[in-house]
Amino acid sequence: MTTPDIFLQQIINGLSLGAMYALLALGFTLVYGILELINFAHFNVFMVASFVAMAVLQGLGISGQSEVLTGFALAGALVLAFAVTMVAAGLLGVAIERVALRPLRNVRGTAAMITTIGVSFILFNVVLLTLGADSKNFPNPLPVVRWQIGGAVLQLREVLIWAIALVLMVALHLFVNRSKLGKAMRATAQDAEAARMMGIDVDRVIVTAFFLGSALAGAAALIFGLYYNFTSFLIGYTAGLRAFTAAVLGGIGSVPGAMIGGVLIGLIEALGGQIFEVRWTDVIIFSILVLVLVFAPTGLFGRDVASRS
Amino acid sequence: MNKSDRAAPRQGTLGSETFAWLRRGSPFYGIDPARRARFLVALVTVAAVLFPLIIRNDANIDSAANALAFAALALGLNIVVGMAGLLDLGYAAFFAIGAYAYGIAASWQIAPEWSSFWEPFRYLGLVDRFQDSGGDVVHFQISFWLMLPIAAGIAAFFGVLFGAPTLRLRGDYLAIVTLGFGEIVPIIARNTPSVTNGAMGLNGVAAPQLFGWSFGVDATPYYYVGLALVAFLIFTSQRLKSSRIGRAWMAIREDEIAAAAMGVNRVRLKLLAFATGAAFAGATGALYVAKLQTAAPEMFEFSVSVMILVMVVFGGIGSVWGVVVGAIILQVLQSWFLPDSTQWLHALGRLIGVEWLQQVELARSTQLIFGLILVAMMLYRREGLIPATRKVRMPRLAERPALAAAPPGETERLPRLGDFGWRGEGPLLEISELTVRFGGLVALRSVELTMPARSILAVIGPNGSGKSTLFNAVTGLVAQNSGTIRFAGSGIERAPPHVVLARGMARTFQNIRLFPNLTVLENVMIGMHARLHTGTVGALLRLPRTRREEEEARERCIDILSLFGNGLLLRLDHVVSGLSYANRRRVEIARALASGPKLLLLDEPTAGMDPAETLELAQQIEILHQHGLSIVLIEHKLDVVVSLADNVIVLDHGEKIAEGPPDAVRRDEGVIRAYLGRSATLA
Amino acid sequence: MPELLAFRGVDTYYGDLHVLKSVDYTIGQGEIVCLLGGNAAGKSTTMKTIMGVVTPARGEIRYEGKSLAGVSVAERVRRGIAPVLEARRLFPRMTVYENLEMGAYTRDRGPEFDADLERVYELFPRVKERLRQLAGTLSGGEQQMVAIGRALMARPKLLCMDEPSMGLSPLFVEQVFDIVRAINAQGTTIFMVEQNANMALSIAHRAYVLQTGQVVLSGPAAELRENEMIRSAYLGEMKMA
Repeated sequence: MTTPDIFLQQIINGLSLGAMYALLALGFTLVYGILELINFAHFNVFMVASFVAMAVLQGLGISGQSEVLTGFALAGALVLAFAVTMVAAGLLGVAIERVALRPLRNVRGTAAMITTIGVSFILFNVVLLTLGADSKNFPNPLPVVRWQIGGAVLQLREVLIWAIALVLMVALHLFVNRSKLGKAMRATAQDAEAARMMGIDVDRVIVTAFFLGSALAGAAALIFGLYYNFTSFLIGYTAGLRAFTAAVLGGIGSVPGAMIGGVLIGLIEALGGQIFEVRWTDVIIFSILVLVLVFAPTGLFGRDVASRS
Repeated sequence: MNKSDRAAPRQGTLGSETFAWLRRGSPFYGIDPARRARFLVALVTVAAVLFPLIIRNDANIDSAANALAFAALALGLNIVVGMAGLLDLGYAAFFAIGAYAYGIAASWQIAPEWSSFWEPFRYLGLVDRFQDSGGDVVHFQISFWLMLPIAAGIAAFFGVLFGAPTLRLRGDYLAIVTLGFGEIVPIIARNTPSVTNGAMGLNGVAAPQLFGWSFGVDATPYYYVGLALVAFLIFTSQRLKSSRIGRAWMAIREDEIAAAAMGVNRVRLKLLAFATGAAFAGATGALYVAKLQTAAPEMFEFSVSVMILVMVVFGGIGSVWGVVVGAIILQVLQSWFLPDSTQWLHALGRLIGVEWLQQVELARSTQLIFGLILVAMMLYRREGLIPATRKVRMPRLAERPALAAAPPGETERLPRLGDFGWRGEGPLLEISELTVRFGGLVALRSVELTMPARSILAVIGPNGSGKSTLFNAVTGLVAQNSGTIRFAGSGIERAPPHVVLARGMARTFQNIRLFPNLTVLENVMIGMHARLHTGTVGALLRLPRTRREEEEARERCIDILSLFGNGLLLRLDHVVSGLSYANRRRVEIARALASGPKLLLLDEPTAGMDPAETLELAQQIEILHQHGLSIVLIEHKLDVVVSLADNVIVLDHGEKIAEGPPDAVRRDEGVIRAYLGRSATLA
Repeated sequence: MPELLAFRGVDTYYGDLHVLKSVDYTIGQGEIVCLLGGNAAGKSTTMKTIMGVVTPARGEIRYEGKSLAGVSVAERVRRGIAPVLEARRLFPRMTVYENLEMGAYTRDRGPEFDADLERVYELFPRVKERLRQLAGTLSGGEQQMVAIGRALMARPKLLCMDEPSMGLSPLFVEQVFDIVRAINAQGTTIFMVEQNANMALSIAHRAYVLQTGQVVLSGPAAELRENEMIRSAYLGEMKMA
């Protein structure tokens, strides 16, 4: 491959990673926008969801990468896998909010954030203890279809990931901007007390934010499995920290920011891995996190902090 | 969301009642608390020293030594999280840095090529020249006792290096940045084999030696070193906590803005907390590696940071003894209780013939249990096993007459207030062309103001007219867009809040920003931060000079509080969040006065006070004026303004629309129109 | 005049802080009642208590003859209590139209919604011109129009206004008060917290004066304007006039 080909290839890879990070970043941003809470449990909701996705695909009789489905069978399997994984992850997010976070809603300071760390730790260890520390082969029913673009290769897998992520993000965008509940969500994020006084049920809005954010993490988890063909109890921290960086880069609290931030982080990971060595990827991404927070804490689309009088 | 309007957190509802009967039933009930504490410390010390002699089981002594290492780490994290309120999720990184520092200095695995550069170090006995097949190499052989402080110093250095850019961030952002830092330190250790031997880790780290005797692999000497380290760190934590430094940390934890306005240099003190915590971890890292004689990247991952955090939360965030007890209990749980319970479960399984019970391995679920403990503590007992602050209960109704009858003699302290006057030339405060914008909104537009020393100036105007913004701009809490501010002869327009305070300008806030979980006396003492000098070393040594300074500061605070009669003097040890509204206002004024200001800015001091309290406060402000203090007063009650002020300025929509003596201003047509609206035509 | 809203011995707390102390108010149907008092006297807490954001520790609030205990904020809005919040509190990054929609959050869309929208446009022609603009970009006066319009979208029987004159230019304050009168003339009862005492007393029927959480004075607005106690206790500023 020539140098431009390598770059094209890395952009293709980066967009797929970016789609996954964007979906995961949306979960951070939806919750942060409303509660100003960094939800560390989100890291491992994603990880748990990847095991749910694996179980669903295995339940459909798919194991490994050799059993390929096509046509309606493939579409049906994917729709079912995404639906079940997203709903399961969403319910997990809602359960976490109800059990561990709602009682701390009015407590000042870092108590709620520390609690999410505890919840994350619990999820992590439950999976480790019940399913073991070894990496699991993730079933993948996608046929291998390749298109040659110059020296670079575009696979069906990539196109599918982009399409699914795009559909989900457009759907979220429409929900937030067009539906009544979505508008209530934005109103709550901008001024929770005023929203409450309008008769908006803030509890319901918060539950919705947790459900949607976690469901999108579920979608990201399935994408992770289809992309890497494995899952493990360890995937939450790395992916989660990158997705959080994406949310911060885009401006935490901003939905379009999380989408664009995710894609940027995906591209940085892919191209950075090309330019430097892959083992330094986390260091690069962490440096971006610190630089953005220190020098441009509002990110690309951050809210104007002084806007509230 | 308007945070100030939320209900104040209620603490300890479950715990305080659960443990109350225990306390009453204890043999120490009713004994002087200070003596009781000394007795307990002596008892614990004797038990800890005798422990290896009684136990005599090397595995158990080894576990105890590990428990001490974790107690030391918990003490360090407690400085950062508990005292200064900075949530650090990557604390294990500093543990790793200290560990690797000793690992490199006492392992022969890292052996650079010999050059003349190393000659002086060989002369000092720190390195040795060793003949290797590929040429001569350097063998480090730095003494453990030397490396213990050096490891602490290196970790502290990295703490400052990492903290300097990030400690300005909001608390939740800081948490995630520290988490990232904690993630990358092991990655760097893994990826730089020339320094750390990469993923393999450093092995064969030399054991410490004392008078030619090597510690070897026996756990007992490490236990005693650990015990000494923990004792030293407890001592350090206690001394710092009760010093000027500790008070400033707690002020930052409680309300950063108010701390800055009371003269606390936030960045410097946060860095100090971070560096101190890192130093604790660095020293512990050196000890831990000496004991294990190996250092590998996976020893310092995120889960270690979380376990230390759980120990701090479990024991009591901010409580020195609490975190030690928390660390030891959790370590006991991990090393003894879980393995023992596993044995019992297996036996039970064999007895009743249940297969899965025979295979349970509770020790593997340590981290799960830690996670459950963390969540449970947050939900049910946030202040931990041994809370850092005990609320002094308010006097019962039956006891109140006794309080009221307490001797009012304290008022004779009044003359001791001293003189607050400024003796310089020219006006005390001179503001010109001051403009402040928030986004598109102009909060202040070209405001001009001149104020002579020893005068009272009132600022009036409708809500939202820019009065509080004027205070914020003058005291450095909001950045101005243009204009100059001269105070006591020098420009302060770019000065940060703590510098403004140090120059002699103190303030109160419209919606009272006391440090809610600290006592009356602590709040007022923080006001003196800029006037006291004790630093870290002074706090640790507590020389007569430091003790005298603290004692004088305390006396000074009591003198100031006596301005408000003896109501507050009786409540010196009460947590301010339990005081009445009027008393909180008074404490806030006392806190500002404690800084020895030349100019006091009062933002609606009588808001929320009834007419009697308002009158009383007006008289007290007049007393302060007689002591030479200059005062700027934002006030809505115009009778207060008229009785106190020498001069009045009127703000409306960020512009000064009138200025003059109270009588002239209240007849000004423009003022009446802007301030009183259409009613002017009615009156 | 039949009673619309009444406080009977209401006490509220924020944590340890006792804010309202055994407060009684009565607001009759069709009245304009104003609540006067200095900062931190408990005026905004009164508003929050009416809306159900703050729960009273003791006492009862009755609305249309029924107790409001345990009634959610949403249900209160649905029954016709709508707030105009202190400092407007619009949703700054939503459009003017979306802000109005949020005012009608508890109602279903339908012909009534459109009729109410028309009524708001009629009262505030300027609002109609700015429907697609983000609320945060409006001037203070325009924001106040949207804030009142947003409350009217709930089709309120009782409009609770918290300091509608705050931060507005004198000319605009008069306009706002004219509109308040007009809304009242159409049959909406108004309970208004104000600092601008003279102005408020000039349009109100009755008034209460709140001081450190207690009602110290109440009566017809015209009488209160003459009352010496108001002048000394709260309306220090009236001395200026």
